[in-house]
Amino acid sequence: MNALLLVRVLRDPDSAAALDRAGWNALIAMARAERLIGTLALRIGDRAVPDAVARLLADARLDAEREVRQALWEADRAAEAMAPLGLPVVLLKGTAYAAAGLKAGQGRFIGDLDILVPRNSMQAVERCLLRAGWEWVKQDPYDDAYYRQWMHELPPMIHASRDRMIDVHHTVLPLTARPRPDAAAMMGDAVPITNELYVLSPDDMVCHSVAHLLADGDMAGGLRNLWDIHCLLDGIDPVALDDRAARHGIQPYVRQARRLAKALYGEGARLTLWDRIVVARLLARDGWGRDRRKLLRFAFYLRSHWLRMPPGMLARHLFTKWRKGHRPA
Amino acid sequence: MKHALSLKIGPATFRIGSAWRQPVEALAQLYAAYPDPGNAVADFTVRLEPSGFLRRWLRPSIFITGDHGLADAAPMSLTHGLLAAEMGMNLQMALGWRRHLLLHASSVEKDGRALVMTGESGSGKSTLAAQLGERGWRLMGDEFALLDLETGKIFPFPRLVSLKNGAIDVLAAEALPARMGPLLAATAKGNIRHLVPRPDAVQRMEEGAPPALLLFPRFGHAAAMRGVGQGEVFMRLTQASTNYVALGEAGFAALTRFVQGVPARAIDFPSGEEAIAMVERLWEELA
Amino acid sequence: MTMPHRYCQDREDAVAACALEDMVLLYHRPSGQTHMVISPVPEILAALADGAALTAKEVHGELARLYDLGPAEHAVPQIEAHLTELTALGLVRVA
Repeated sequence: MNALLLVRVLRDPDSAAALDRAGWNALIAMARAERLIGTLALRIGDRAVPDAVARLLADARLDAEREVRQALWEADRAAEAMAPLGLPVVLLKGTAYAAAGLKAGQGRFIGDLDILVPRNSMQAVERCLLRAGWEWVKQDPYDDAYYRQWMHELPPMIHASRDRMIDVHHTVLPLTARPRPDAAAMMGDAVPITNELYVLSPDDMVCHSVAHLLADGDMAGGLRNLWDIHCLLDGIDPVALDDRAARHGIQPYVRQARRLAKALYGEGARLTLWDRIVVARLLARDGWGRDRRKLLRFAFYLRSHWLRMPPGMLARHLFTKWRKGHRPA
Repeated sequence: MKHALSLKIGPATFRIGSAWRQPVEALAQLYAAYPDPGNAVADFTVRLEPSGFLRRWLRPSIFITGDHGLADAAPMSLTHGLLAAEMGMNLQMALGWRRHLLLHASSVEKDGRALVMTGESGSGKSTLAAQLGERGWRLMGDEFALLDLETGKIFPFPRLVSLKNGAIDVLAAEALPARMGPLLAATAKGNIRHLVPRPDAVQRMEEGAPPALLLFPRFGHAAAMRGVGQGEVFMRLTQASTNYVALGEAGFAALTRFVQGVPARAIDFPSGEEAIAMVERLWEELA
Repeated sequence: MTMPHRYCQDREDAVAACALEDMVLLYHRPSGQTHMVISPVPEILAALADGAALTAKEVHGELARLYDLGPAEHAVPQIEAHLTELTALGLVRVA
């Protein structure tokens, strides 16, 4: 079995009416594993479901509401901490969707706070956060140096008393990745939602989410990321989006993301062979909530490293990690 | 997953999948008297998976996971499969239950009122609850007490009681052999045997009771008792709750109502018998 | 000389309070955090309850009407210190 069941119910919640006990057990396990249980609960809404299911979905809705509250509070705290710098604090990902009241933010599991700041302000931002009670998540010196030099973000920080993580980005893809999104343009076109908090423009939000899904990472949690994209695409002018994607050097990725979102969550689309391989990776979840298709996953894991680094650097990096006994999850 | 079982414990239904037959068989035998979950969709899924590529067969080793899991959970030997399943269920409750405030506490009921006992591992709360359960009290749970968010009642989670080391002999002397599980030797916490709660505890697993006394027990000290201030009670109970923060304001309201309404005592005792005597005396006084 | 800070409540209904025998519990709704506090913190928050933006000296003035706080030159800096800490926790903001 794969996660097509989950995708189908998200796309067409009425189809859940036909589920039996085994079907519901599988659907719930998949939704939890893909961090889509809150979204599922909202999509199903007040449709008639078995009592036990109604209770679980109510729990999920409560959790999602709490997530939003905590995420917005973290954003508020970060803005307070950085106030002396006078910089716009650009929110990214789940916190941004929630803060802007977007459909993509509803029912969403949020996790860390992600913000975007100019590269030349990173040190000042780091100082402000440390002063306000954030600390480094312990890493070894190799990882720390790697992060600072090559990644698009500071090494992760966590707040000492609130126990929540913050990721400070200066662009949306690693510096060593092939596409070079125009971070300055993203910040320049950011939209204010309060006195201190900003979010990316709608086109840039799509671009960022696509870059994250297809140009970085190994697509773990991809179904949720694609659902975000599906929601964010609502009301977007395709031509304007295409232009913006070209500006960021990720046009093929954005086009692919639109096909995938339409194929899985929309009316359907014609997929290329590579699209189908990506779909297979995205759907690799069974009715017990397990990640399936180990070889395919491993292939995407390798791809995620290849995406982030030029080949020579990749070889050195993997060698160093191997020496330290790192094993892929 | 090759082997599967569904269980209902208190208000929660679990779907347990296992790569091996043995843990599922052991669970089925010990939980035989528990109600059949029937056609209910499970609240939680627990998975007992091989912890590595060959570990299904070679020195079989269980990685405990499910809807909720901890990436760095230590794998367990298949010989402790029953314990692994129990830990899997505890993990789901601790991380995922939202319908009551969860207290890491044992609880027993008598005369329609509940006694709640909370403390560190080794405090004696589980053993004391199990003993009271054999002497006229109804055992509600040895690990989790469920506090109702609206009514303030305590509800049962009567899983198999986990007896460690010395407690095993104490209870084996008081309970029928048929209610004792196999000896799990040399686990991370020493020797363990499970005790099946008495039939009335199982039959009445949906019945709650208003709490009348909170105890902080400490086994292995000279007999003593003191009152515990509300501030200290609140602080210790938030530490003993895995879902207080997740419940938000409803958790705050439920816990403050509990702290303001339920008298609290810290009791030290050198033996189970002493403890039982102290408890019965206190219970009389508060009636 | 710099202007003294004015402090105000984070939000009107931000806090749910519960008085226990020996301390006061504050549930801060925006953050979901629970704080355990003792006098004069609850009283300081009560002085800010109607939304006013007050300096530490003004808060002292309010409290001194009802309580004996000792000499002002000690009490006001103490109140300022409490207000600073409450700001760090997010219960109070600098207006």
